[in-house]
Amino acid sequence: MASKNEVYSYGHEKAKISRRILPWLFLAPMLTMIFLSWIAPVILTVYLGFTDLSIKNFLAFIRDFFTPEVHITINNFRKIFLGEDPYISEVLKITVLYVVSVLSINAFYALFLSISIAYFIKNEILSMFLRVSWLIPRIMPGIIYALLWNWFIDPDYGLLNRMLMMVGVPESMLPSSWLLDKPFSQLLMIIVNGYVGASFGMIVYTAAIKSIPPDLINAALVDGASDFQVAKNIIIPLLKWPMLFVISWQTLSLLASYEYILMIWGSGGGGGYAGIAKAAGVMVWSLYSYSKAFSEYAYGYASAISLVLVVVGIVLIYIYFKIFGFKKLMAPSRIEV
Amino acid sequence: MVKVTLENVTKIFGKVVAVNNLNLEVRDGEFVALLGPSGCGKTTTLLMVAGIYKPTKGKIYFDEHDVTNLPPKDRNIGMVFQSYALYPHMTVYQNIAFPLRLKKVPKNEIDRKVREIAKLLRIDNLLNRKPAQLSGGQQQRVALGRALAKEPDVLLLDEPLSNLDAKLRVLMRAELKRLQKELGITTIYVTHDQVEAMSMADRIAVMNAGKLQQYAKPEALYNKPANIFVAGFIGNPPMNFIEGSVYAKNGEYFFDNGEFKIKLEKELGEIIASKTTEVIMGFRPEHVKISLTNVPNSVEGVVYVVEPLGRDIVVNVKVGSIVVKILASPDLNLESGQKIWLMFDQRKLHFFNKISGTSLLV
Amino acid sequence: MKSSKTIKYSRTKALLWTIAKYLVVIIIAVVPLIPIWTMILWLFMQSFSSKVIMGILPSGLTLNNWRFLWSSLKMGLKEYPNIWPITFNTLALALGVSGLVVFVSVLGGYALSRMEFKGRTPLMEFIIALHAFPSIILLIALFVILNKLGLYGKGFMTLVGIMLIKAGLEIPMATWIIKGFFDAIPWDIEWAALVDGCSRWRAWRSVILPQVLPGIGAISIFSFLSGWSEFILVFTYVKNEAYYTLPVLIYHMIGEYKFIDWGLLSALGLFFTIPTLIFFSTSQKLLLRIYVGGIKR
Repeated sequence: MASKNEVYSYGHEKAKISRRILPWLFLAPMLTMIFLSWIAPVILTVYLGFTDLSIKNFLAFIRDFFTPEVHITINNFRKIFLGEDPYISEVLKITVLYVVSVLSINAFYALFLSISIAYFIKNEILSMFLRVSWLIPRIMPGIIYALLWNWFIDPDYGLLNRMLMMVGVPESMLPSSWLLDKPFSQLLMIIVNGYVGASFGMIVYTAAIKSIPPDLINAALVDGASDFQVAKNIIIPLLKWPMLFVISWQTLSLLASYEYILMIWGSGGGGGYAGIAKAAGVMVWSLYSYSKAFSEYAYGYASAISLVLVVVGIVLIYIYFKIFGFKKLMAPSRIEV
Repeated sequence: MVKVTLENVTKIFGKVVAVNNLNLEVRDGEFVALLGPSGCGKTTTLLMVAGIYKPTKGKIYFDEHDVTNLPPKDRNIGMVFQSYALYPHMTVYQNIAFPLRLKKVPKNEIDRKVREIAKLLRIDNLLNRKPAQLSGGQQQRVALGRALAKEPDVLLLDEPLSNLDAKLRVLMRAELKRLQKELGITTIYVTHDQVEAMSMADRIAVMNAGKLQQYAKPEALYNKPANIFVAGFIGNPPMNFIEGSVYAKNGEYFFDNGEFKIKLEKELGEIIASKTTEVIMGFRPEHVKISLTNVPNSVEGVVYVVEPLGRDIVVNVKVGSIVVKILASPDLNLESGQKIWLMFDQRKLHFFNKISGTSLLV
Repeated sequence: MKSSKTIKYSRTKALLWTIAKYLVVIIIAVVPLIPIWTMILWLFMQSFSSKVIMGILPSGLTLNNWRFLWSSLKMGLKEYPNIWPITFNTLALALGVSGLVVFVSVLGGYALSRMEFKGRTPLMEFIIALHAFPSIILLIALFVILNKLGLYGKGFMTLVGIMLIKAGLEIPMATWIIKGFFDAIPWDIEWAALVDGCSRWRAWRSVILPQVLPGIGAISIFSFLSGWSEFILVFTYVKNEAYYTLPVLIYHMIGEYKFIDWGLLSALGLFFTIPTLIFFSTSQKLLLRIYVGGIKR
């Protein structure tokens, strides 16, 4: 049994050490995982963008990161920016089409959607039901979503064409293949992603609408405003910041997204990687990088394409933080043990 | 049972000085109250004694041991928090047993001790309940039990009664005092309620804005406050203050506030005048007699409002342009607007330096 | 003076506006949902019927579509691997991701919430920033890392590597969520534990952790579903059919355009969706809060 004196002095040393080290012990696993899944890949992407890594020198590279078989070069960027890759401009066009179109759904259509669901509809149950319905595409496992769309657009078994004809679209205007026929394939690409993206805006805007003091709206109603006028003159102006937030966040998100496109267009003709995306005109920037890497094994070039996106991403995130600030989500620790 | 000493203890949070150069000694077995308004630094001081906060400057000793850097778990203290901080996922029994489990006390010993304490605090029928199922008063006693179970050297209490209703509070005050005397544990008790402090503590440390104002027995704080802050904080209804000057004329001393004059006793006048002329005079509502007729050396006033309290009445009297409160017997039938005269007991007058606020008599 | 004619007029006007309002709601919010509802209906109907009329009306109720549960999986000319090992792979991945994410984020979240250390603010900002960063563009680099670690093409070990990567990708969000739960615990409970004799580690284990069990439940479900639905990592890195997970299997089957068996596929799809359905119906409030609170895309 230690004497009281010993307890007091031993306690000092232990306290000092453990106080410094303990936080880092708690943080270590998280920091390791973040390094593995985020930091190391980013650094590597930067490096690879400047190499000619391909299937030829891949194994050598794995054996030794500094193997002479892999050359440092800026050719990749010449291909991208100087047009030495003829397909790049097409990719850029498709990406812009994709981002702008889906963004208008996610940021603008979602605005009207949320006003309809969260304001025009007063019945809580109905509102909840619609909100959950719109969340379904986002919550559903991606591959199931892809499966359902694959069925829906099937010319023989699916219902899309049949439904369109029911509302009066002439059969001659419908494509024989929604997957392959441009611009229907591109329209499909926008719609598929639009359903998923709309719920993001809906969530943000609904929260903002719910936080408007009810008295503000009541005052307007008393003044004689209809629901439309309330929406136009009170709700929409108050949603400026949420809109800016949704636009910013979704721009980056859309630039880098390709999973749904891959799941639907990749699975054509023998299950290849990004199989028919090129033919269908849905090869967005990030998908192009993926296809260059995993269909053509041009790892270096693909990394360069990705790197452009990484840089854009970091710049955009930096801008967001400057605009939206790092909200006070922090309180100082109240234990100094 | 230990002596607790704070030596030049200062605590700064960022730019705020919460505790400013505090020197305090709590004797073995003593019950000391840290009294003051919110934000005065009393809770911060308590947390430093507990070891949850580290002093920015200064040292803390338990007997001769420097515990400044020791973590709470090695200080053998018991603490009752204002919100009781009972572990919601544990039963009353487990809450009280927890410190004993941590000390690796053998199971049957734990059981004995827990039941003993529970019996002492009259919560032995609640041992299987969870905190959410208890009333405020019961929770408070469980918190006390948890603090006492490990037989601590020092007991710390942070406003433990403030969440109880008035009646229970009065009851618990007496209970806590008795318990402390019985167990003889060195106790530090934080409160903003001066009645609580006065009725329970052996000595009271009055604090304001991080600084110690006065550290003395309750009677001393009442009779000989060291400064205006202490004078105004202790006592209910609070002391009345009137600004004025003290001077000598023809060998006699007067206090003059511009609207009325009182002749001061020679000794009193001499002491004050020797130090300064600009003063603040203080007197407690209970130390002034009301006369219905004009008597020598009294101050004329008009009854403004009478507040009946049952046992006493509080008479608000307008003297010149100031209103003062006087405690009087309800037998006096006073009416608003009635002219009365106030007679001051000169032995109970207080005088303070107008600028520094310190007492001129202590 | 308001005549009765004026009041009647306002009432008609109000009625027209109301009709217009509901028309707008229907067009904007309800009509676009028709395809979605149809698809969901189809999934359930088709999986239990041999044929569907008009796309969604079942005809010929049967369990034949579910034959993959007890016999081999054949569609068209191709035989696919048996469903159960694939399900096992998927389950293993999901559980692995969930367990790892919970373990790591509970520790990290607590440190961020309640401990003092240098660089606390920058680290928190960094983790928030990670939410916005699209991880999906790092696939190539992750491929190289996987190879370097010797985990590529190594059967089950590849799945383990994927599990590590996936967990790492989920951790910023999970940490942030659980941090929120830690933030909500009043400080004096932790102080009381310290005074009672706990070291910080012991206080964390015995007193703090039990308070965040709902949060732990939430992120474990969330990351389980995330691992369960994971497609792109497995699709890109796993070449051996035996180590596919269910999403990848379904993907390859959709690709068989000529021989597609919708009945089989819908049953397979429904089978795959069962965990999602279970978790969502039993803990909807909790999970919806997370989807609303922690947005990734």
